[in-house]
Amino acid sequence: MASNDVITLDGVNKSYKLGRIRVPALENVTLTIARGEFIAIAGPSGSGKTTLLNLIGCVDKPDAGRIVIDDVDVTPIPLHRLAALRLNTLGFIFQTFNLIPVLSAYENVEYPLLLQNVSRRERDARVRHWLGEVGLSEQLKQRPDQLSGGQRQRVAIARAMVTEPKLVLADEPTANLDSDTATHILDLLAEINARTGCTFVFSTHDASLIARAQTVIRIKDGRVDDILAARAA
Amino acid sequence: MKTILFTLALFALPLHADEASAILARVDAARNPLPSFSVDVELTSTSATSTESSKFHVYGKGSDRSIVEFIAPATEKGKYLLMLRDAMWIYMPSASRPIRISPLQRLMGQASNGDVARTNFAIDYNPTSVASEGNTWVLDLVAKDPSIAYARVRLWVDKTTSEPSRADFYVVSGKLIKRAHYYDQGRRVEIEDLLRPGNKTQMKYANLAARQNPEKMFTKDSLGKW
Amino acid sequence: MLIKLALRNVLRNGRRSSITLVVIVFGAVALILFGGYKARTFWGLRESTIRGRIGHLQIFKKGASKAEAHKPLEYALDDATSIRKQVERDPRVKMTAAQITLMGLVSNGEKSETFIATAVEPAKDREMNNQKITAGSDLPDNEPDAILIGRGLAQSMHVKPGDYLTLMTTTVAGSLNAMDVRIAGVFTIGIKDYDDRAVKMPIAGAQTLLQTKTVEKLLVFLNNTEDTEAVHNAFLAHLSGVEIKEWSELAPFYHQVVGLYNGIFGFLGIVVFAIVVFSVANTILMSVLERTREIGTLMAMGTTRGRLRAMFVAEGVSIGIIGGVLGLAIGGGLAFLINHGNVMLPPPPGYTTGYRLQIMMQPAVLLTAFLVSFVTATISSIVPAMKASRLKIVDALGHI
Repeated sequence: MASNDVITLDGVNKSYKLGRIRVPALENVTLTIARGEFIAIAGPSGSGKTTLLNLIGCVDKPDAGRIVIDDVDVTPIPLHRLAALRLNTLGFIFQTFNLIPVLSAYENVEYPLLLQNVSRRERDARVRHWLGEVGLSEQLKQRPDQLSGGQRQRVAIARAMVTEPKLVLADEPTANLDSDTATHILDLLAEINARTGCTFVFSTHDASLIARAQTVIRIKDGRVDDILAARAA
Repeated sequence: MKTILFTLALFALPLHADEASAILARVDAARNPLPSFSVDVELTSTSATSTESSKFHVYGKGSDRSIVEFIAPATEKGKYLLMLRDAMWIYMPSASRPIRISPLQRLMGQASNGDVARTNFAIDYNPTSVASEGNTWVLDLVAKDPSIAYARVRLWVDKTTSEPSRADFYVVSGKLIKRAHYYDQGRRVEIEDLLRPGNKTQMKYANLAARQNPEKMFTKDSLGKW
Repeated sequence: MLIKLALRNVLRNGRRSSITLVVIVFGAVALILFGGYKARTFWGLRESTIRGRIGHLQIFKKGASKAEAHKPLEYALDDATSIRKQVERDPRVKMTAAQITLMGLVSNGEKSETFIATAVEPAKDREMNNQKITAGSDLPDNEPDAILIGRGLAQSMHVKPGDYLTLMTTTVAGSLNAMDVRIAGVFTIGIKDYDDRAVKMPIAGAQTLLQTKTVEKLLVFLNNTEDTEAVHNAFLAHLSGVEIKEWSELAPFYHQVVGLYNGIFGFLGIVVFAIVVFSVANTILMSVLERTREIGTLMAMGTTRGRLRAMFVAEGVSIGIIGGVLGLAIGGGLAFLINHGNVMLPPPPGYTTGYRLQIMMQPAVLLTAFLVSFVTATISSIVPAMKASRLKIVDALGHI
């Protein structure tokens, strides 16, 4: 029986070496995030929100403290052994979309399913489903350089969702989009969260995204300032 | 008449064969009076363009063993030649061991004249005929063994002294290759190379003396060591 | 998917991939042309040595090779005729030729020189066709004392066809013999050192000079060089009292040339290999650097390091296969053009005439060229692939 929390951080510290100086990025962060939440991590740049997201996303390791993702204590596991966890449990959405330029929209979304060795029929069904969900059924064969920013981000979203993850991490998902497109993307994300129960964690300084979040975690200088429930769950 | 002549001829032949062998035996005795000896040899080689001179000591035992010690010119001094019945070896101070000279190599240079000079008529040849020319016997000789250098020799012998005066040397094909003239009771021999007209070699023998030459001297391993 | 990704990534940067392909193709073409030239040279030298001089097999009297002969023909074939009959029954045999080699002095009345003679059967020697007659004519069939004389020797003896010389040597028994001979013709085989000493004479004349009825050896010529070993074994089973040598044991010059050329081309091959390795490695490394963020994304999504390595190696393999196939096509095409052209090369060491450039296309050469391209490209991609898989995700994602 899975626990209620999908993310648990306990006393997490992370610092970086800049030349000879050690720069602390996160100090003594302790928090939990429940399943199904739609959470924003807000803060000025340099506050450590990207670092926090990286640690949760299992693409970086803390210097101290414990991290549990989907009931798995990932603290002692080296990063390259977490590939399977990232593949099956997590989904990523990037500020710069990060699609594979030589693959079509369909193939980009298909990629993680190939890593999972899903059957062809199943793959086809799921890819079409999710590209349909993000409204790109007509653009299956287009390559990223033939799509607009908003369309690319939609492909990224479909790619993130196609593996049916428990948790999706998005680093500044709307930063490279105009406000209209950004709004549509946000609507889409909120809708997916509501329908699938997948947890969404953002790092952002977009006020409208912050406004849409259920809970906002405010970070400043590497410390969690405030966890505010912006609206009732 | 014919019958008488024929019968006489029959008697004549064996007589001639005996006589020829006797003559040959006397020739060799005259040429090789001492069973073990030493002698000095001066060799002069003349061609249309040049004259060369060399000196040797020769040590001999019997008719089939001899050693030639090179004395002059200075470039040849220290070399030795060992001549046995069917082999010839040369020893040079610069080499560590003596080198065998093949029959083919004896074709070249003065080694071929060495073969002529030490020809053993009685031992190596059978007389086939004898004729008389004034004070000289003319014998036709045929080699006893196919390994002998010259297959045929025609020999002119002085009737009184039994010394040879001239010898013509023929090879298997019948070609006349060398002609030797003997002077001074054999103390001077002149050899003409008939394949290269104008080329002559003269050998002068002096100080022939008896010498105790031990057998083991005439082995290739003792060359240069005594 | 791996193949699709690999090919598309290769095509991604057309210009860079083209340059790399050019390098690989260059390597493959070099291997094909050099390898083909070498193969042709070996084949030509082998066949001319065999057919013109030594034959495929040589039959001697047993003991000839181990003994030290003090006299000529101490170990000779006395039943050559019967051996010949047996040998010629084999359908793989084209012809046999009896020979004697001998040396001695040749004199023109004023001076003597050493000569080395090959005594041959005139008709068979004409078929072997190893020499070029520069004056006079070839050996007549029925004149035992007519000879051919090498060009250098003719000059030093001051003779021309129709003149007479005397040959001197020792007989098999050891006594001296001399024979007057008529110069039928003057020849050259293209090697000065040989022409200065060489004589060719009829075997009957040599037998008279040597006072023998034997021959030194029997040369056996086959229709196909490939049959040599099999025929050798067949003869060993049927002939007694003989020893047989294969052409390979009698052709030191050929083996020296093979060794020399293999050494040179081996070195060239290494140079080509190094150039291709560096070029392909550089291309893929640049590709890795350009795709750093992409690599980070793939790893974040759950691509394992092993899979990532496989991706880049697949790119190397793709370039290798494309380059290999192109190289084969272009190399083959060039070889074809050269073979139909008329490129003349200078004489090889020791020879006096040049020859036409030909490239021999053997399956082994073509396969090697392809494999080298393919393997080289694959190996070259390994280091960049390792580098890619060791990127830190966070740094990669943050890369421009």
